[in-house]
Amino acid sequence: MNGLSLGEKLFVQGGIAQDLRSDGRKRLTYRPIYVETGVIPQANGSARVRMGGTDVIASVKAEIGRPSPLQPNKGKVSIYVDCSPTAAPVFEGRGAEELSTELSVALQRCLLGGKSGAGAGIDLSSLIVVEGKVCWDLYIDGLVVSSDGNLLDALGAAIKAALSNTGIPRVHVAAEASGEDQPELDISDEEFLQFDTSGVPVIVTLTKVGRHYIVDATLDEESEMSSALSVSINRKGLICGLTKRGGAGLDPSVILDMISVAKHVSEQLTDRLDSEISAAEAVEEE
Amino acid sequence: MRGLKLPLTQTQKVRLQRALEKLEALSTKANSNASVAIADTIPVNYEDGFLKGHGTTELNGEVVATVCGVVERVNKLVYVRTLRARYKPEVGDIIVGRVIEVAPKRWRLDINYSQDAVLMLSSINLPDGIQRRRTAEDELNMRAIFEENDVICAEVRGFQHDGLHLQARSQKYGKLQRGQLLSIPSYLVKRRKQHWHYLDEYGIDLILGCNGFVWVGEHVETKDEMLVDQADKPDSQTSKTNDHSTSLEGQEQTYTPLETRQNICRIANAIRVLSMLGFVVTIEVVMEVVNLGVSQNMDTHEMLGSEFCVLVAEREAERRSQKKNKG
Repeated sequence: MNGLSLGEKLFVQGGIAQDLRSDGRKRLTYRPIYVETGVIPQANGSARVRMGGTDVIASVKAEIGRPSPLQPNKGKVSIYVDCSPTAAPVFEGRGAEELSTELSVALQRCLLGGKSGAGAGIDLSSLIVVEGKVCWDLYIDGLVVSSDGNLLDALGAAIKAALSNTGIPRVHVAAEASGEDQPELDISDEEFLQFDTSGVPVIVTLTKVGRHYIVDATLDEESEMSSALSVSINRKGLICGLTKRGGAGLDPSVILDMISVAKHVSEQLTDRLDSEISAAEAVEEE
Repeated sequence: MRGLKLPLTQTQKVRLQRALEKLEALSTKANSNASVAIADTIPVNYEDGFLKGHGTTELNGEVVATVCGVVERVNKLVYVRTLRARYKPEVGDIIVGRVIEVAPKRWRLDINYSQDAVLMLSSINLPDGIQRRRTAEDELNMRAIFEENDVICAEVRGFQHDGLHLQARSQKYGKLQRGQLLSIPSYLVKRRKQHWHYLDEYGIDLILGCNGFVWVGEHVETKDEMLVDQADKPDSQTSKTNDHSTSLEGQEQTYTPLETRQNICRIANAIRVLSMLGFVVTIEVVMEVVNLGVSQNMDTHEMLGSEFCVLVAEREAERRSQKKNKG
C-alpha cells in the first residue's frame, strides 16, 4: 500500500481528533500483543512479538570476552536491528540501512544508556565473570519481519521477552591466573542462570498527529505524524532513554506532557507484557 | 490456522478448535473427491482425448497434479484450480483500486493483480456531466479529476492489447473519500449480484471489491447528472481548495461525525476478523458479526481481540449447521 489519498488522510486525522481510530481503538490503546519465546533454539534467548501487523524477532547470544579497559567491571552488550525485505520491497539490499541504524541507535540509547554505560536499563555489572579479565558479551539482534508501524515498541518488547528467556551458562573459574593471563574457564553446558529482567525498561512511542498524541500507531497513522517521541520507562517509573523523531519541532511543555502520558501508559504496558511473557514461557515449557 | 496469532487463553483455544472442527465436518463431502494434493493422480479417461491444463503434468504415463486444489473439467480441458490463487479479473467485476500513475489520456491503477489496470479518460463521466468529446484541455486537467493515491471504484471492461481496461461510467463509480480501505485475500469475496451496498440505517457505503479491496465509508449521494446545476460547479471547486489550504479548525468541521465513524470502524473490524479467520465475506455475514459485537456490548477495538474472534468462529459454525439442517 503506497500512500494514502486525501480523503483517507482526512479520515485518519479525524479519527485521531475524535478519539476513535480506524480500528476502533482509543488514542492510548495498544493493539493485542502476542509473544512467543524460544523461537530460535540455537540462541541463548529469543522471542517473537506480534502487534497487529507488526512482527519482529529478537535473539540474544552470549559469548565470553574481555571487558573494556575503561570499564573493567562491566560486561558488554551490542544491539543491532535488521529490516528484512519481507517487510517491504524497499528494504531490499541497502534500502533498509537508514531505518536499521535509526532503530539500533534508538534501542541502544533506550536500553543501554550513554557511552560511559551510565543509566543503563540492563545491569551490565551482572555480566562480569572475573573483573578486568573475563566478561560476557551479549549480542542482541532484532529482525523486522513485517511492518505495520510502531517498530520501536515491538522491538523493545521483543528484546525484553528475549532477555527473560535468556540463559547464561554457569562459569566456573578453574584457577586464579596472575597478571595478564586469561584464567581457565569451565563453561557449563547444563546449568544456566536466568537473566534478571526486572530492571529492563519498556519503550512507549507517542506519535503526534495534529494536536493529539497516539500510542501504537499503524503505518497509515505514522504517515500523518508531525513528530514522535519514544520514551523507555522501567518498572520504577524512571526514564531510561528518550528519542525524538520527525521533522516538526516541539515546544518543551509539549515534551513534558508527552513524557507524563508515556509514564501513565507504560504502567499498563509493563503489566501486560509481563503477563504475556510469562504465558509464553509457560507454553514453551509444555 | 494460518495467520491467526492472537493471545488466546487455554479455554479460548479449546473453543476455537472445537468450532473449527465443527465447520470442517459441515463442509460438503461431494467436493472431497475432486480435491487433490501435489503428486495425486487425476482420474482421466485415457481413451478420450484430453488437454492438460494449469497445475497438471504427465509423470510415468499418468496425469499428476502439481498444486493443491480442486480438479475442474471443461469439455476436454482438465486443470487444477488452487484455492488461494491470486485475483483473476473477469469482465463485469466490480473492483476498488488505487491510482498509481497519471499517464497520457489514462490512469494506471493497482488492483491487486499481476498487472496494473488502465482507466481511460474516455471511460469515465466528466465532472460537468455533459457527454462530449474529450479535448486536449481535458487531458491536461486529468489530475483535477483523479490524482495519485486516490481510491477509485470501477468495473472491469475487458482485456485489451495493452492490458486490463476498466470503466467508471455510472454515477456510482468514481473517487471514494471519507472512509477507509481494507485489503483482504481476494478468494474470500465471491462473485455475487451486488457488490455495492448502501446500509441506510448507518448511512454507510460498503463496497466489496472482487479483487479483495473493500471500501467502508460515509454514504455519498449519487447525484443525477441531469440535475447538476451551474451552482454546484463552483462549490466543488472551492471545497477542493479548502481541503488543501485550510486551518485545523476548518478541517475539524469537515470530519466525519462520530456516530458514522463508530459504525464505519465496527464494520471494518468485522471484516478484519472474518478475513483473519478465513471466512467468506458477504454482506449478511458482516452484518451478523456487527450485531454480535453490539449485542455483546463490546468496545469497537475489542472486536479485534481474542474473545470476539472465538465468538465469531462459534457463531459461524452455528449458522452453517442451521443452514444445513434447514436445506
